[in-house]
Amino acid sequence: MNILAIETATTACAVGLATTSGFEMGWVVDEDRHHTEALTMAIDRVLREFSLRPRDLDRVVVDRGPGLFTGLRVGLATAIGLTDALGIDLVGVSSLELLAHGAQSEGVRGTLVGAVDGRRGEVFVQTFHLDEVVTALSPPRVATPSEVALEWATPSAPVTFAGDGVLRYRQTFAALGHATLLDQALPSTSAALRLARSRPPQSFVEPLYLREADAVANFSTRERS
Amino acid sequence: MTLALAIETSCDDTAAAVVDDALHVHSSVIESSIDQHRAFGGVVPEIAGRAHLATIGPVVRRALEDAGLDPHAPAIDVVAVTSGPGLIGSLLIGLSAAKAYALAWDKPFVGVNHLEGHLFAPLLERPDLDWPLVTLLVSGGHSMLVLQRGPGDHEVLGETIDDAAGEAYDKVARWLGLPYPGGPEIDRLAAQGSSKALKLPVSMTGAGFDFSFSGLKTAVVRATEKQRDVSLADVAASFQAAVAEQLLRKLRAVLEQREVRGVALAGGVAANSALRRGVEQLALEYAVPSYLPSLAMCTDNAAMIAAAGLHRFLKDGASDRSLSARPNWPLTELV
Ligand SMILES: [Zn+2]
Repeated sequence: MNILAIETATTACAVGLATTSGFEMGWVVDEDRHHTEALTMAIDRVLREFSLRPRDLDRVVVDRGPGLFTGLRVGLATAIGLTDALGIDLVGVSSLELLAHGAQSEGVRGTLVGAVDGRRGEVFVQTFHLDEVVTALSPPRVATPSEVALEWATPSAPVTFAGDGVLRYRQTFAALGHATLLDQALPSTSAALRLARSRPPQSFVEPLYLREADAVANFSTRERS
Repeated sequence: MTLALAIETSCDDTAAAVVDDALHVHSSVIESSIDQHRAFGGVVPEIAGRAHLATIGPVVRRALEDAGLDPHAPAIDVVAVTSGPGLIGSLLIGLSAAKAYALAWDKPFVGVNHLEGHLFAPLLERPDLDWPLVTLLVSGGHSMLVLQRGPGDHEVLGETIDDAAGEAYDKVARWLGLPYPGGPEIDRLAAQGSSKALKLPVSMTGAGFDFSFSGLKTAVVRATEKQRDVSLADVAASFQAAVAEQLLRKLRAVLEQREVRGVALAGGVAANSALRRGVEQLALEYAVPSYLPSLAMCTDNAAMIAAAGLHRFLKDGASDRSLSARPNWPLTELV
């Protein structure tokens, strides 16, 4: 199966490709929010690299968040455009599970807290247990870094933190005893490619916003009047 | 024949259309998220973005199917898409999707200026239009007078120096407690009122062709404080007349000073009955044909984007895959 992975949940834009013949690659195209400008060109280049045409793709896997709304929608719109145009399967995975699976394949075991920067002084956070498999211990949610830190102030066992939310609030998390901070900030495209094989395709992949648009709405109406 | 698939997502409408270079519309699909914005008295960018993403796939698919094309291998020549001006978050969804469709089908794509799209709308219903043409383009986001010497050959004669006419409508409607969008509500009410009930000053913007609407809401508030007995219908009629008066006065100045062979209306506010009547009268007075597009062609649609896109594609070629959205792309900066 030829699978394309699209990653735009954070400020970085990345693509991954796994081919029927067993090749696999991941490419961080841009790190500074140029998703719209960079993404389709990158997909085109990656396909050419492997002498594939778009219509040779069987499946697209896309990070549905949580993450930066605009970036997510650029990734999703591109994934929807590609899969609708070609009549191929679309699979959505979450940014937090990609952090967990990425860490697990690097050999991390035990409790892992994934934290994606959510702006406005908050992170999108979820807790996993990693051994031979990855198990989610809580649903994804929004929290301030200090709320997360408080929760892990006296852990019974070592805990590992991963994600760009951890890097952004490094000092808050580094102050915790028993805590390991991973440098891995980007949800793993290689994990996305792996998960894409075992997940059923979806007719529509909705972004995992975790925030109502209403808050934005109230703000924007106030601003207008 | 050159066939274009066009995508438009600059504001709250998700639209797709298939149009050929003879400007025959093979299909045109519009899905609006306006109902989700009503409670907020205006288009909320985040809500619009969410809605575009949910509808873009089905809307494009329907446009292809309505045109009798294979949605997985359509016999189109170019994908056209609005790349500005508009809400950045909304533009990015159409632009990203358009690039993806173009890549998947190995077709060129072209970024289109939304305002130039509006200027092409009259041509879709009246391909026999005579040039030069003066077009009054009025919408929620824009108010301008444009001299068109031919398709894609235009000169902005004047534009609003502050609010767009549609914005003034929404502000006054909100103040009157009318639901959003304000234009149709005020137009409906105005039909039962007297336009002479309230004394409203006409904004002075000098001898040029520029408009100003930002003072109008304050003027309406002040005038109603002085005359407490006026009805809602009278306020609506007086306000509507003041907006039309200013637009038509500038349009008249163009007809006086420039040699034109036609007058056209474009943009969402072109649906306004007072404005339509006024333009018709002016055209009669100056003995030039008037072109008042159907409601579907006034408001945002993708057929007009396809028409402008075909023109740009045939003239200037395809856009680069790295094209960015330009939320403030002025009509004067077309290349
Ligand atoms: Zn418009």
